[in-house]
Amino acid sequence: MSSGKRITLQQAAEIVTNGSSLTFSGFTIWRRPFALVYELIRQRKKGLHLIEVNGGPQTEFLVGAGCVDIWESCWVGHELYGKYGANLSRKVGNKEILVEDYSHAEMLFRFSAAASGAPYAVTQTSLGTDIHNPAYDTLGNAGLRDGRRIPRHKYRFTEDPFFGAGAQVMVPAAKVDVAILCVQQVGEEGTVRVNGQFYSDPEVARAADVTIVMAEEIVPEEYLRRESDQNTITSFEVDHILEVPFGAHPTGMFGRYDVDGAFLKDFYGRTRTQEGFDDFAKEWIHGLDHLGYLEKLGWPKMLNLKANTALKYSTGMKRGQ
Amino acid sequence: MNKEFAKPEEYGLADLLCCAASREVQDNEIVFAGTGLPMVAIMLAQKTHAPNLKLIFEAGTLDGRPPEIPTSVGDARCEMGASRSSGLHDAFSIAQRGYVDLGFLGGAEVDQYGNVNTTCIGDYLNPELRLTGSGGNPDINSFARRTVFIMVHEKRRFTEQVSYITSPGWRVRNWPGGETVHRRELYGAAYRGGPSAVISTLGVFRFDEESGRIYLDTCHAGNTPEQIRDMCQFDLDVSRVSGETLPPTREELHYIHEVLDPEQIFIPKVKRG
Repeated sequence: MSSGKRITLQQAAEIVTNGSSLTFSGFTIWRRPFALVYELIRQRKKGLHLIEVNGGPQTEFLVGAGCVDIWESCWVGHELYGKYGANLSRKVGNKEILVEDYSHAEMLFRFSAAASGAPYAVTQTSLGTDIHNPAYDTLGNAGLRDGRRIPRHKYRFTEDPFFGAGAQVMVPAAKVDVAILCVQQVGEEGTVRVNGQFYSDPEVARAADVTIVMAEEIVPEEYLRRESDQNTITSFEVDHILEVPFGAHPTGMFGRYDVDGAFLKDFYGRTRTQEGFDDFAKEWIHGLDHLGYLEKLGWPKMLNLKANTALKYSTGMKRGQ
Repeated sequence: MNKEFAKPEEYGLADLLCCAASREVQDNEIVFAGTGLPMVAIMLAQKTHAPNLKLIFEAGTLDGRPPEIPTSVGDARCEMGASRSSGLHDAFSIAQRGYVDLGFLGGAEVDQYGNVNTTCIGDYLNPELRLTGSGGNPDINSFARRTVFIMVHEKRRFTEQVSYITSPGWRVRNWPGGETVHRRELYGAAYRGGPSAVISTLGVFRFDEESGRIYLDTCHAGNTPEQIRDMCQFDLDVSRVSGETLPPTREELHYIHEVLDPEQIFIPKVKRG
């Protein structure tokens, strides 16, 4: 039975309106929904509020393209292929973007809280750091804490009232409009099967008001339901689905293809300046659709990145380059 | 296997740092692993003196036994042979629950109390340079019993006061007032320890748990305590120096270059003349 959840890349990007808050699947340089990130850039989105468990190349592309006003997260970079987020760094320096810093565990717990319908999470992490310096409450300083989508406080302290365990920090639920996931398989009705580490995908999918799942392949729902214990996200938590092979490139997809390190290195090297970014975007984003992009990338490169089905990683790629 | 120490011309600085880091690992420990040189160090410990150590990768692999060195924590190699492939909620909950003995971390700046900065250089509200941000650095440093930092040694990085405390050392800020207190006072029942060593490109540093202050433990060959003190902006305690950092053994060099990182992704081979 088809549920009518299928949409196109263009329709998916239209769901993300200017000013929306947005989050993604994946981890650093793995399973980021790039085909849709590129489409958001082509549609010249403005004023996005990214709330991410951790950032990565997708952050750098959207920030470089001027789509993002607020970035709330803990880390951005390209791991081995670029040690920091040069586009974010440049925009922070020029005061063109607001950055709210949390720790990685705090961001994760914020999404867990939102995913379980709780207003906040309680943790003992990062006590004594400048993450909790009240002067460094960026969204508060900007007067944006309306208590609706943006919480009234960055964090609050409390003492454990139950066991006397001492200081605790409360961090607000991460409320987001749209989550965009990029996974190996989704069923016609929305059931998601992630292979390998699922990172924080279940939490972000459940936390968001609208969840869009981009998959390498859309498979019969019955196929996934034959082994329901292997599935990661429930059908009705997913609003829209689309099939986009190689959709995570240049990031990697466990069991399908590796990270394109050379591509990320090239991006990192060329986009230190705005002119450099614009030039890169002209070459790889504007005027192309997804198939055009893959054609430009070329089969030899894609075969080189393709994972060995037994080992789950590419054996043809020279690593670290 | 040959456990003799290698001669100076047989190894490079990266080999020395990797072996020093490896020796911080004890057998049966649960180690929170990042990628890069620390990953090689942990796998080296697993091959040598700590065969029963357990690895946790931040992205969600639990008790991993990678057959070869992963290049990132999302790498498929992390998951091969693991007890479980899961997600961040498991990794951070396990850490907060108190399972983690040791974590390896890095930083752009460190101060005399082991506070580390990976967020920005200069005033946070008006930074000279925005860096990567915290990542899991403060989390691992809050939850683990011991953390070891591996850092490039430059005078500007060993600073009187870090631009931004990303990761908590031994003496931290008590917000909202901001007065400096020992981390034990702040963490309450969650207090388990803190930074135990900094391995820089010049020497190995440790911390006095009571005063929270850093001191020089060993110098890498070719450096004197006085030279290293000159390379710190704070007044480095050199009264407890125990000697020279032990060089790699031939066995360790064999594992690093022939088994763990033959592709020289993280540790270059020294060309023998």
